[in-house]
Amino acid sequence: MATLQELKNELKKLNAEYAKIKDLPADQRADFGKELNIKKQQINAEIAAAEAAAEQEDVAPLDISAPCDINGQMPEFLTADFGSKHPLMTELDRVIAIYQSMGFDIAESVQLDDEYHMFDSLNFAKGHPARDGYDTFRTEEGFIPPAHTSTMQNRVLKANAYKLEEGKAIAVAVPGRVYRNEDVDATHEHTFYQCEGVYVSKDCTLGNMLGILREFFEKYYGQKLNIKTQPGYFPFTEPSLEFLIEKPASLGGKGDGWLEMLGCGMIHPNVLKNAGIDPTKYQGFAWGGGIDRLVMLRYGLSDVRNFESAKLDFLKEFTC
Amino acid sequence: MLISLNWLKGGLQTDNISDEELVKLIGARLVEVEGVIDQTHKYDKIYVVEVKYCEAIEGTHLHLCKIDDGGVASDVERDENGYVQVMCGAPNVHEGMFAVWIAPGAIVPQTYNTDEPFEISMRKMLKKYDSYGMMAGADELDLGDDHSGIVEINPALAKPGKTLSETFGNLNDKILDIENKSLTHRPDTFGILGFRREVAGILGQKHTTDTWYTAPEQLFENDSSVELDIQIDENLCPRYTAIVFEATEPNVNPYLDFDATLLARSGMRAVSPIVDATNIIMLATGQPLHAFDYDKFVAVGGSKTPKIIVRAAKKGEKLELLDGTVAELDENDIVITSNDIPVALAGAMGSASTAIDENTKRVILESATFSLYNLRKTQMKHGIFSEAITRFTKGQPAGQTKAVAIRFAEKASKYLKPLALFDTQKTEPAPIEVSVSLDQINGLLGSDFSADEVKTILENVEFKVSCDDNVVNVIIPFWRTDIHIAEDIIEEVGRLSGFDNIAPVLPLHGTSTPNEMFALKSQIRNHFSARGANEVLTYSFVHGDLMQKVGQKPENSYKIINSISPELQHIRQSIVPSLLDKSYANLRAGHDQFALFEMNQVYPRNLGVDNQQVPQGSHELGFVFATQKEQSNYYIAKKYLESLLSSLNISFEIVEFESNETNSYYEPKRSATIKSGDVVLGYIGEIQRKVLRGFKLTNGTAAFELSMAKLLSAKGEVNSKDFRTSDYPAVLRDITLTVASDAKYDAIEAQLRAVLDGFIYKLAPTSIYQAEGSATKNLSFHIEFAAPDKTLTKAEISDIMKKLEAVK
Repeated sequence: MATLQELKNELKKLNAEYAKIKDLPADQRADFGKELNIKKQQINAEIAAAEAAAEQEDVAPLDISAPCDINGQMPEFLTADFGSKHPLMTELDRVIAIYQSMGFDIAESVQLDDEYHMFDSLNFAKGHPARDGYDTFRTEEGFIPPAHTSTMQNRVLKANAYKLEEGKAIAVAVPGRVYRNEDVDATHEHTFYQCEGVYVSKDCTLGNMLGILREFFEKYYGQKLNIKTQPGYFPFTEPSLEFLIEKPASLGGKGDGWLEMLGCGMIHPNVLKNAGIDPTKYQGFAWGGGIDRLVMLRYGLSDVRNFESAKLDFLKEFTC
Repeated sequence: MLISLNWLKGGLQTDNISDEELVKLIGARLVEVEGVIDQTHKYDKIYVVEVKYCEAIEGTHLHLCKIDDGGVASDVERDENGYVQVMCGAPNVHEGMFAVWIAPGAIVPQTYNTDEPFEISMRKMLKKYDSYGMMAGADELDLGDDHSGIVEINPALAKPGKTLSETFGNLNDKILDIENKSLTHRPDTFGILGFRREVAGILGQKHTTDTWYTAPEQLFENDSSVELDIQIDENLCPRYTAIVFEATEPNVNPYLDFDATLLARSGMRAVSPIVDATNIIMLATGQPLHAFDYDKFVAVGGSKTPKIIVRAAKKGEKLELLDGTVAELDENDIVITSNDIPVALAGAMGSASTAIDENTKRVILESATFSLYNLRKTQMKHGIFSEAITRFTKGQPAGQTKAVAIRFAEKASKYLKPLALFDTQKTEPAPIEVSVSLDQINGLLGSDFSADEVKTILENVEFKVSCDDNVVNVIIPFWRTDIHIAEDIIEEVGRLSGFDNIAPVLPLHGTSTPNEMFALKSQIRNHFSARGANEVLTYSFVHGDLMQKVGQKPENSYKIINSISPELQHIRQSIVPSLLDKSYANLRAGHDQFALFEMNQVYPRNLGVDNQQVPQGSHELGFVFATQKEQSNYYIAKKYLESLLSSLNISFEIVEFESNETNSYYEPKRSATIKSGDVVLGYIGEIQRKVLRGFKLTNGTAAFELSMAKLLSAKGEVNSKDFRTSDYPAVLRDITLTVASDAKYDAIEAQLRAVLDGFIYKLAPTSIYQAEGSATKNLSFHIEFAAPDKTLTKAEISDIMKKLEAVK
């Protein structure tokens, strides 16, 4: 193999060749130039490879078992007050802790899924316009980075169906990262976090769902709260509702405003059937809401883009 | 969707409920109302006037006009006849016309509810003419887009001094802005008729739909000489109704009319009397209509009489649409053809070739339904989001096409005379029937409805209900295409009576099982953040260039086909590259040194798929230590790593680095593999210089990554934190060992520990020194040791020290 110096000399020579172009007959210039360019690219690539190899050789090995570098300082941790937990994760931990205290198991959502879990198992008819509302990304193979944590419902129901046979209830909360194909601005992110809840038993009711949701938000905000609902539409629940809470005092609520927190409803019989649960014997409810918004509200944040920015200036607002 | 509250309230009893409460109820029991646009005072001080005198002012486009406002306006100067002077620049202003006058002090409606409402006053024009208020065009009145002249009012309706609002019923209106999304399954509510039926139900009022909709009667005889052939593919077009008309008046209306005001309040614009009639009927019923010029239709098809064939488009077929664009069609699009020549993109838009105009002699009116699945794709592909296709893609019921076509015939009777009606559906299908028990209803909702209550709730919105013991049998009207199963009926009962009237009750159930992965993440989060590290989140999607930069193969990454930008095209294979990518911006922001860590899932392709054929992911921890200054950061990263693993009670070894498909960014000479027994937990090391150059980071930047699942399985029992001291004095010594420059530290330390085994001791390295060019290095330690059971003698101490110092 040519040495680095030889390659550099060659490049110099080649560069000189370019001067000859103007002396050539016009019809030959283009081809000649093209050929030179190809050669030049090759040499440059070889030079880069040789330089990288030389650089690699220059690198001294280190003793992987030592506590510090030769002639170096003993390393010290950064000062503790520099450290921070991500606010979304802190919040998610709180949400999980509340659900656990209410007797819910926790299962994290997957971050790459398929059409079956994302739509088919949830009673979305093939090609139904309701699928449009989810603005999903897709991979070449047709996999989907899920657009909602409901993508886990079928798995969670299947995995816990045995509990029903034992006379128990299925109660699972499913936090996870979800994705929507939308342009990013201060209030929209293509990547965000949701938490799903799934509850199935022999005789649970819509009134139970409202009870659980109110309990959750009362624990979350540490106060008694009024709630209300709006009709919604999701193919995987029937009835479908939007759930609202009175704006809590900690967020400046004075008993007048309402906050839309999540979508919910009684699980559609087809969804239970798809998970091998007999809808004539069991019934359930499910809900899902965003975590990002909880954090934005709690800390009075206005730009959702900061969450995935890894900017220390932002994160330092959340030092431990 | 915009809904005029005045229109909606027609036929409802709303005297006892305020608009505000009504809107609240709609929000709670039907659909989210995004906003209410209050137009109650939009047309205040706007009057119909007669132009009594009109004189063109030479050399300008202006006219000096005197108007009769019936004497209603105040603060204006009047001439001896009581007329008010207004200057007008519109070319169509003329004596004797009835115009619309925005009086001084009024807001120009076009600017009403905007940031800058414009109030009209007296103006001096051409420096000498007083002009009070203005005569308005359709655009200024926000009743159309026309700016070519001022609007003219039909003399039959006009009375000088009458307000514009009164002239057209009542324009003092509130407009509801409806969030369509939650009505995706409710085509019926996309017409005022269906929306009003729901509101009646919500208010507990019995609604009865007019018979023209429920039992249409054709009031004209079919002219047997009129022929029309319709061929449909029922999968694409379940029903096609058409009426052939003869024009009795030209399709023009020089006057502003009521329809125009209603269209404007519904977010649409007036076009021509026939088109307006189709649109008004659509807004009323949800059923879009389309009018073809009969003669043009026949000419395009080349047949003697019109031959409508509805079929799937052929790939590559082209159609010039009404708006002048040429749509390239494919098999998914549905086309209306004239004898197989496409003349309309079904549900979406007609073509110029068959459009009606002022000279249209005969009309074919189409009232049809199409496959919403096909139309949805057509909508997306061609980017057509008209009011019509928005309604079609909800799946308008086939049961209404005939009724709506006949309704149109009545509505357009001034301009069109119906000749014959054609319909592909000969018999009405039997209605669906759904049964549900009272126990099912109350058992699912947690409510306490009686059979009578259920019956009333459902009958209010025109379900036919019969009760048999505790079973409620419901016959579904044809317009409720969304009702199929018992749960659908239960939803109606709960919704119409108000879900908020159901008492929230906590169920009793078991306790939860801890989730180890979340517990681990929490523990790591606490551990690192307490040691000055910062937890971050970065996107799961990365640029192909990023993978190239770190030496990962793009083929090992799932590729997003509809990514927002190239930066987000691949699903990442590991976390460390994302952290490297985010480090430079933080250095540039002035942070001298920092430790970033992230715990998240990654999906390299080489993990394969699970038993459900879904890609397998892996929970990973990534950590990067970056500094402004060029320095070796391997050891600080290692300190973080070791402190974490020991806090998790994981026994581990740091062994020679082994590269694999995803970790090729580590510098092999300055990196290591982290193992627990035979299990590889992850990798630690400094990043290769050429990789760092790509990220503009300094040499020596270090990282580590760990598989969280493997940490969980390696997590040991609690290490004994037993703290022992000896009752006998400890020996404190600092020693320095001179060893070969390539001697491994851990081998030396292990030997020292072997010597100290059996004593109660502490051992801490204090420095590693090597003089330049030297073949040896000095390792210094601080050592404390004592015997558990006695005071060590001088001889014993000296013996131990000799052994320690002999280590090499």
